Amino acid sequence: MPLSEPFVFTKDKLLKFLLAIAVFAAVDLWVYSTVRSSLRANAAETRRNALVLLARSAPEDAGLRDDWLASIADSLPGGAAVYLIPDAEDPSAYEAIAVDEAALELWNGIASTDDAAKGLESAYYFENYASSVKATLSDTPVRLFYAPVTDDAQSELLGIAVFMAPETADSGLERLLTLFALGVFALFAAMTGVSRFSRDSTIGYAVLVLSGLAVVFIVFPLVEAFRLSFLTDGEYSLAIWTDALSGAHLQSLWGSIRLGIWTATASTLVGFLFAFVIYRTSARGKKFLSAIAQMPVISPPFSLTLSILLLAGNNGLITKQLLGLESFSIYGLGGLVLVQTIGMFPIAYLTLASVLQGLDATLEEAALDLNASRWSVFRTVTLPLAVPGILSAWLLVFTSSLADFANPLLLAGNYRVLSVEAYIQVTGRNDLGGGAALSLLLLLPTLTAFFVQRNWVSKRSFVTVTGKPNLKLVEIASPAVRIAMTAGVWLVIAFVLSLYGTIVAGCFVKNWGIDYSFTLSNIGEALSRGKDAIRSTLSLAVMATPIAGLIAMASAMIFVRKTFAGKRVLEAVMMTPFAIPGTLLGIAYILAFNKTPFLLVGTGAIIVINYIVRELPVGIEGGVASLRQIDPSIEEAARDLGADEGMVFKSIVLPLVRPAFISSMSYTFVRSMTAVSAVIFLISARWYHMTVLIYNFSENLRFGLASVLATTLIIIVMGAFGLMRLLVRDTGAFDKTLSR
Amino acid sequence: MAKEPVAVTIDRVTRIYKNVKGRKDVVAVDDASFVVDPGELVTLLGPSGCGKTTTLRMIAGFDLPTKGAIRIGGEDVSSLPPNKRDTATVFQSYGLFPHMNVAENVAYGLRIRKVPKAEIDERVKRALALTGLADYAERSPGRLSGGQQQRVALSRSLVVEPGVLLLDEPLSNLDALLREQMRVEIRRIQKSLGITAVYVTHDRVEAMSLSDRVIVMKDGRIRQIGAPSVIYERPDSAFVAGFVGKVALFPVEVRGVDGDACACTLRGKAIKAGSRAPGAAAGSPAVLMARPESLRLGPPDQGVVDGTVRQNVYLGSSVESFVTTEYGELLVQIDDPAGKRIAAEGERVSVSFNEERVRVLPASAD
Repeated sequence: MPLSEPFVFTKDKLLKFLLAIAVFAAVDLWVYSTVRSSLRANAAETRRNALVLLARSAPEDAGLRDDWLASIADSLPGGAAVYLIPDAEDPSAYEAIAVDEAALELWNGIASTDDAAKGLESAYYFENYASSVKATLSDTPVRLFYAPVTDDAQSELLGIAVFMAPETADSGLERLLTLFALGVFALFAAMTGVSRFSRDSTIGYAVLVLSGLAVVFIVFPLVEAFRLSFLTDGEYSLAIWTDALSGAHLQSLWGSIRLGIWTATASTLVGFLFAFVIYRTSARGKKFLSAIAQMPVISPPFSLTLSILLLAGNNGLITKQLLGLESFSIYGLGGLVLVQTIGMFPIAYLTLASVLQGLDATLEEAALDLNASRWSVFRTVTLPLAVPGILSAWLLVFTSSLADFANPLLLAGNYRVLSVEAYIQVTGRNDLGGGAALSLLLLLPTLTAFFVQRNWVSKRSFVTVTGKPNLKLVEIASPAVRIAMTAGVWLVIAFVLSLYGTIVAGCFVKNWGIDYSFTLSNIGEALSRGKDAIRSTLSLAVMATPIAGLIAMASAMIFVRKTFAGKRVLEAVMMTPFAIPGTLLGIAYILAFNKTPFLLVGTGAIIVINYIVRELPVGIEGGVASLRQIDPSIEEAARDLGADEGMVFKSIVLPLVRPAFISSMSYTFVRSMTAVSAVIFLISARWYHMTVLIYNFSENLRFGLASVLATTLIIIVMGAFGLMRLLVRDTGAFDKTLSR
Repeated sequence: MAKEPVAVTIDRVTRIYKNVKGRKDVVAVDDASFVVDPGELVTLLGPSGCGKTTTLRMIAGFDLPTKGAIRIGGEDVSSLPPNKRDTATVFQSYGLFPHMNVAENVAYGLRIRKVPKAEIDERVKRALALTGLADYAERSPGRLSGGQQQRVALSRSLVVEPGVLLLDEPLSNLDALLREQMRVEIRRIQKSLGITAVYVTHDRVEAMSLSDRVIVMKDGRIRQIGAPSVIYERPDSAFVAGFVGKVALFPVEVRGVDGDACACTLRGKAIKAGSRAPGAAAGSPAVLMARPESLRLGPPDQGVVDGTVRQNVYLGSSVESFVTTEYGELLVQIDDPAGKRIAAEGERVSVSFNEERVRVLPASAD
């Protein structure tokens, strides 16, 4: 069924449109120039009055004259003055005084011109004269203004002040006017375009808004980050990149990749173990195992690291108190691989679970039937079928590990990874361009992995070959192997649970590592110090959640059901943030939005927008998948019965994609509550984030306070997760979004 | 539901799907023109890919003509979106709203039109009664049979009293018996309401039995427009003849034309055909078409063509006799066979024409 075309372009419409905006542009320009010239006249008047006043302030006392002349530089920034004392004998002669050498030089250059003569003549008649001739005072364009300096009675000419006032290129008001005129024009063009070319204006505006969003909040910041990485002191140079590609930083890149490889490998192994035990054996407690295995993905950043530090840090419970180790250090590659594996094996597990779950047991049965041993069934049937899934899982974890920022920030020690390096470059050295370059460097391996996974591995899946798979279980693990594997799974589960237990325990310990006595004071202190952060974290997430959900579903409807020129480009741009490490997006945002016309740094809006832009791709994917399964005639029927596009979206699409809608909202909420890598660059005193506070507490060794906040965050996130499960029976969509 | 019926005009409409990724442009509808009179039911008939559904979707507004205009009741609606057109469509897959029950489904169009609540209830009730669904108002559409879903879709379209009712292969998902029942019912309701309707189908029996007029399409072009009897008895081309019924075709030479009648020869044997298509003239290649009921069997050498009976199929009201001849296998229909002598299988026979009933057509590829 052909997709519906919301836009119609004909020569006739195009001509009328161009005519309309041309007429509007003319009117706009006329109004603009009228207002601008009156603004300018006004400004000139104001300046003239100011200069006259300035001339009046000239002291009669010759001794104070030099001070007065020197003070001109302050009252007239970039300008100067020359003071002329007329000769009592000869009206045409005078003595010129100035403290600014350049001013005197300028005066001597023009003193004999007609214009200067006119100025002097006016002054002799006690009149001001504003010259219209342009002059240059040490590279600044200036205009001369001649003002007579008289005694109080205004009867005697004491001197003539010649001001060299810099031309103000654009006053702030004028800039605002320009922006306003352009804005009005853009708005008019957009609205005329929509009403002229779109069959239903709702879709027209929706496409317009989405495109605007994509350009301003995705393309623009990334381009800015890229551009500014080539700028040093306002000039284009390769200095930043020369530094970024120097030995030390390349070592960090290699460090990131090495960490990624280790974590991805370990996580895939653990994930496969879980998926196999849960979906391919008759082990007990599968629901419980599966639930616990998903916990780490939605738990806040720093919490697992915090727990590891409590257990095995320099003052850790196990390392110090129980074992008394002195030389052991958890900081570095080993500790990072451990923490990341615990945090990221669920990604591998969820990916592999869907693969192993969909595996047709008939194939294994057939192999067993052909007298293959269980081991060779696994080796020749199960494993080869799972290979694309395994590769997929590996690449997904690899990407996440590279983009991970929170764990290395606390736990890297002397081990260097790029995401932290970029952060330090920005916050420690205040070198935004350098930070941008480093995070762009990180894009190389992540994008490669992302595209390999998307376009190559995921197309090699065997799972959907057969029509109706036999989901009956065929036990291909021998009892001994099964027991060993199950034991391994339970061991991991026990470890995960103990980590969470440690965080909870940390809330009630006075001073971890030194004084293990019970206390409740942490809770009070953490909540009172974290009150504002909790409130702002929650309100930002709550603001972003419905907006992201609605935009995701509307985009899904447009992408699945409509066709128009540039749709693919828009789609690709909207999906980009998914493949971009948060660090890069955060840095790109502060680079792009700390200046007009998008002065947003420091506001809550920039954080909300950042959440929305980052979490949209997953929501859109969910909506697209959900909408693809819905017969388009249902929407057509509604349209046919008189519903416009907005009504179709509200009364038909939204109810039908409800599971995807709710999943995308809870996903956005959870991710916004646990954000750190981008948001750490965007927070301000007013809009703080709990995760950053947890980091600060941990850095200052206030583990008790950090534990309380981490626990609070876990409770909030788990609550949202549970609520979502109540609202949507089938959480398949959500589980799938989690594994992304 | 008394409302003045409106006419639908398709004026030289062409729909071209632009090539995507280097594929050629597809001309889905090629310069089609026709008028549906007020209160008339017109069927668009043709094989799949002939452009009939595209034409319907352009009337509804789901698709836009590349060229040409569509008018409903005199108003040019070519660029109006579906929600601004006075049409209601019954979809092949019904397109029922799964999250609403039957009554809510039917009420949807009225709610959009902001009809007062009491009137909505009243009209929904009446529409459900009209289609025999009064007892199913609270059911979810997922728990209805195919035929019932079909009725809900029909009620939902009728309740808004559209100027034009559009039906896109509405019966193709039903089994044969139900299809026949619904066919009769749709026609009854359409006639009783006097509503203008456009019906799309690839089933010739459906088209014949339902329509005031049939439009036969192929490859995006309209091949013939006419009442079912005209389309069946007086097709303009071999394609139309073959698409709307069983037909035997013989290559002939046209000798002379006498008004509608036409003298021609088939391998030297003179035949005076009762009618001819406008395209058939002396000197141009032509074919003679004969329906099974216009063919007769007789003793060998006494007819036009000799052959052997391969098989007889007894159908009660008639016998279908398959005769192998040099022109291929011919189907001869013998009506009211009781008491008649039927040539046995394997017997040599001759086939002759009821010359009044046979027709000469131009022998183009289609």
